[in-house]
Amino acid sequence: MSRAGRPDAETKLRGAVEFGTDLAVPGMRWGVLVLAPAAHGRIRRVDLSAARALPSVVAIGADDVGPLVGGAKGDPDRPPFPSREIVYRSQPIAAVAAPSLAAAREAAKAVRVEVDAEPAVADLERLFPEWPGPQARASPQVAAHVLAHRGNVDRALAEAETVVAETYRTAGIHQVALEPHACVAEVTGDRWTVRTSTQSPFGVREDVASILGIPEASIDVEGTWVGGGFGGKGASMLEPYALLLARAAGAPVRLALTYREEFLLGRSTLPAVVRLETGVRSGRIVARRVRLLLDVGTSLPGRDFATGYAIGFLLGPYRTDAFEVEGFAVRTNKPPFGPHRAPLAPQAAFVAESHLAAVARAVGQDPEAFRADHLWADGSTTPLGQRVGPFGLAAALAGARARAAAWRAELPAGHGVGIGLGFWSTGTGAGGEARLRLDDRELVVEQGEREIGSGSVLIGLAEVAARRTGLPRERIRVNYLGTATAPFDAGVFGSRTVGALGRAVDDAAGSLLADLGRRMGEVGPVTLALEGDGLVARGPGVTRPLAELLTPHERATGGLRAAGRHYGVAGEIDASRVVEGGFYAYHDFTGAAHVAEVDVDPSTGGVQVVRYAAFQDVGAVLDRPAAQAQVEGGVVMGLGTALTEEAVWSDDGRLTNPGLLDYRIPRMPDVPPIEVVFVEGYPGAGPFGAKGLGEPPIIPVPATVAAAIEDATGAHLTELPLSPERLARALKAGRPSRSADAARRR
Amino acid sequence: MAAYVLVAPASESEALAELAAAPEGTIAVLAGGSDLLLDLEEGLRAPRRVVSLRRLPWRRHRWLSGGLEIGSTEPLADLEADPELAARCPALAQAIAAVGSPALRRQATVGGNLGRAAPASDLIPVLLALDAEVELVSGSGTRSLGLDRFLRASRVTALAPTELIRSVRCPEVRTRSAYLWQRVRPSNDISQIGVAVAWSPGERRWRVSLGGSPPRPVLAEDAAAELAGPNPGETELARASERLAAHPALVTDRRASDEHRRRLAGTLLDRAVRATMAPGRPAP
Ligand SMILES: Cc1cc2nc3c(=O)[nH]c(=O)nc-3n(C[C@H](O)[C@H](O)[C@H](O)COP(=O)(O)OP(=O)(O)OC[C@H]3O[C@@H](n4cnc5c(N)ncnc54)[C@H](O)[C@@H]3O)c2cc1C
Repeated sequence: MSRAGRPDAETKLRGAVEFGTDLAVPGMRWGVLVLAPAAHGRIRRVDLSAARALPSVVAIGADDVGPLVGGAKGDPDRPPFPSREIVYRSQPIAAVAAPSLAAAREAAKAVRVEVDAEPAVADLERLFPEWPGPQARASPQVAAHVLAHRGNVDRALAEAETVVAETYRTAGIHQVALEPHACVAEVTGDRWTVRTSTQSPFGVREDVASILGIPEASIDVEGTWVGGGFGGKGASMLEPYALLLARAAGAPVRLALTYREEFLLGRSTLPAVVRLETGVRSGRIVARRVRLLLDVGTSLPGRDFATGYAIGFLLGPYRTDAFEVEGFAVRTNKPPFGPHRAPLAPQAAFVAESHLAAVARAVGQDPEAFRADHLWADGSTTPLGQRVGPFGLAAALAGARARAAAWRAELPAGHGVGIGLGFWSTGTGAGGEARLRLDDRELVVEQGEREIGSGSVLIGLAEVAARRTGLPRERIRVNYLGTATAPFDAGVFGSRTVGALGRAVDDAAGSLLADLGRRMGEVGPVTLALEGDGLVARGPGVTRPLAELLTPHERATGGLRAAGRHYGVAGEIDASRVVEGGFYAYHDFTGAAHVAEVDVDPSTGGVQVVRYAAFQDVGAVLDRPAAQAQVEGGVVMGLGTALTEEAVWSDDGRLTNPGLLDYRIPRMPDVPPIEVVFVEGYPGAGPFGAKGLGEPPIIPVPATVAAAIEDATGAHLTELPLSPERLARALKAGRPSRSADAARRR
Repeated sequence: MAAYVLVAPASESEALAELAAAPEGTIAVLAGGSDLLLDLEEGLRAPRRVVSLRRLPWRRHRWLSGGLEIGSTEPLADLEADPELAARCPALAQAIAAVGSPALRRQATVGGNLGRAAPASDLIPVLLALDAEVELVSGSGTRSLGLDRFLRASRVTALAPTELIRSVRCPEVRTRSAYLWQRVRPSNDISQIGVAVAWSPGERRWRVSLGGSPPRPVLAEDAAAELAGPNPGETELARASERLAAHPALVTDRRASDEHRRRLAGTLLDRAVRATMAPGRPAP
């Protein structure tokens, strides 16, 4: 691949880029966190004296985090260290720094922690074995409650010819970025500086300011290269601790998690239980009820984002007349819920798709045709009243059905083929800004995001600038700047980078070309091009070397500059349907239909995915190799969610598999050939009609694999992951119940 | 990880002298290191001295008259590369191919696998079914122990602190043998169960063993007895599978329930025995 194709490839292959875990500065101290020994309890004493008595060791705890700058205090709801109550095992309760990692680990061991352990709540179904009644909203264990409806669901269900009721369960999973969280902090005077591996330098700055109570203007965050984020590096984690240690030590402090700690402290998707009821009349869905119990760990009340976000996915991309969705965010003694590539959406798609297949079978219809009949049309509105806009899902499904038919025509015994659908909303609402600098040699995009590996920054932003200006990509460089000098951007998350920050780049490029047009005497539309070794500007009938168009001042100061911004509009929601709680207003919909062929060993429950095809609505493909890699990566990650990944907690709130030995992500031999087909022609809100592609490709995977397993064996599995043991048990249980706890016909 | 001194003696006697001189618990033996280095990294062991066996002349195997001797420090990848292995001891070839990844097998050794004595070892069930003998050496001489007696409990063996495993000897080539396993993830995962079967032409009887279930892999004499002659029929196979599925060694742990293990044990035994009788296999 050319240098322009993947500009970071060569330095990465040479091992020359500096990831967070590579950071080292002269005189640096090593930080280690002291982790809570119980999942729940009262702190009697945290005694730092023995640690402090060790040579060159600093140790800090709750008592050392008073007002730090100008008398302001940090957010009382989010103190770095708890002073009274421990709410999850491995919660940081103190931190130490020493001249070597070994010495820091010794010092951490010397911290004496006395805790009166109290009963922990680790399992949300222990807390709510039945669906909680309305009084549960007042429970301290409930962080959020959301409820929305349209029409009279009870009556519609009563009048339905067939009602299918099912309960699904999904497991907690981790992001498993190769690089653990890592940063180096330094405090000099009133400048608080941290270099860190993050998906959002500005987000870290805002978080650190709020947690520590210091003004954003005093904080500089500089992103390092990121060895994978997948949502886990979207907010601050280690930075406040590293900064506090650096201040106490009067020296730079490096703080990085071990991989075990990454599992223990990481914030990711937690378990969920979903109950669904669907009523059908004359072959049409007339009523849906969806109830979500979501484990949000120790997420703070009022700060739960996941419930109102995820719940919309549970209805799937399907029409219904009456509906009711209700969700409880349940607090347990686990780390707070955090984003994992499309938070809960793959799980929700698994639930929604498997359930609709059960409904279709209960009324004697083909599950694929049934879903196709109920799909949101291009340009329709969702049950929550959001405009769907250009939506390529029906086209993707048509492609997937054709591929499934071809595979079925040559299907070996024991194999099965399934289709799963999913949708997503590109996060173009969150804002961003970018600057451009042009001289007679290159165009430089100056912006505040680090490449996290997907290519969205280095390839995506460069491609937008290339398409707008006409310059070849090898003359466009994407430059990263820290928060001290970069224009603001929200972060590399929500599949928004190309869609939103790309719009800012496009806007800047438009201004740049307009400026050149004025300098050329308003000759008409201007583009840039390479002639010989220098850049030129071209209008209709005129070509001018750039050097001639820049002022002497511009030539001396790096070139002609332009700034662009994009602050998108939030999606809309029909408020009359919302009874309580915050629902995320999706917008800029994108869809995907995936097909899997599996080979199932019915005696052992072993499943091998033998081939896979992804039909992906992207609006417009900006860079095919990068887009294809995104889809392939999403599918591989989704296979883990589908088949093997599961964080297992004991009843007393201990994560029992904090390592890659027993937390199983797919390895190369487990990955089937993946065909990627892009569905274009349904433009999104991004530049040139692009839609986000970070999250969408993981969403349909568990649903697709489950459908293929059901096709092969008849087993209708209602729990993720679809482990061999679960499948073997379902198959052993005799003719697997194809649909449900209860299918009622009249 | 605490600091330690690494020594790599060039002779057996020097290596044994190292062990004899060190106070108990202060020294560790290093072969491929695939288990030991993780223990050191996690601080589970903190020796002051580590004796590498890398330079000892044990990194090879030999075909003996009718049998096989494997030097304890030979990397599994070298053993795997011998084309004779799959023909003469297919079960062992299958088990080795199942260990970790190609990179791991470049490091990992048979001696390390036995030294670790993990409940889920893929090699131990096969070596049990091959009636392997473990040759141990110390300053005071050499002794040979049947593998079944060498294994004590989960990660506990009969090895004395001053002893080394020199080699493993399989007294007889068993061309009709097979090893099958089941894992949550097929590649590079820990086996929930492993079933090895081998027909002994000398003793004219089957050996059947079970691995994956704690505390240690075991021989399943009952199931083997059901198989009776060299070519068990459907009835014998069914009875043997049933016996194995009822084996008391099958228990629940975090990797599988006993119920799942029982289901798998019966199925895998049936398949393993059939595999040894497949057309094209040498006659017993
Ligand atoms: C990622 C990974 C995957 C794995 N997958 C599998 C698998 O699929 N199946 C499986 O069976 N195992 C597996 N293992 C375990 C391991 O690789 C094997 O047990 C391997 O055979 C150990 O050999 P080694 O030479 O690396 O042992 P080492 O780590 O060097 O030693 C292991 C133990 O044995 C002792 N020891 C080693 N040699 C001798 C000797 N000659 N005399 C006395 N004591 C000795 C050591 O002191 C130590 O206590 C895996 C390990 C890892 C890390």
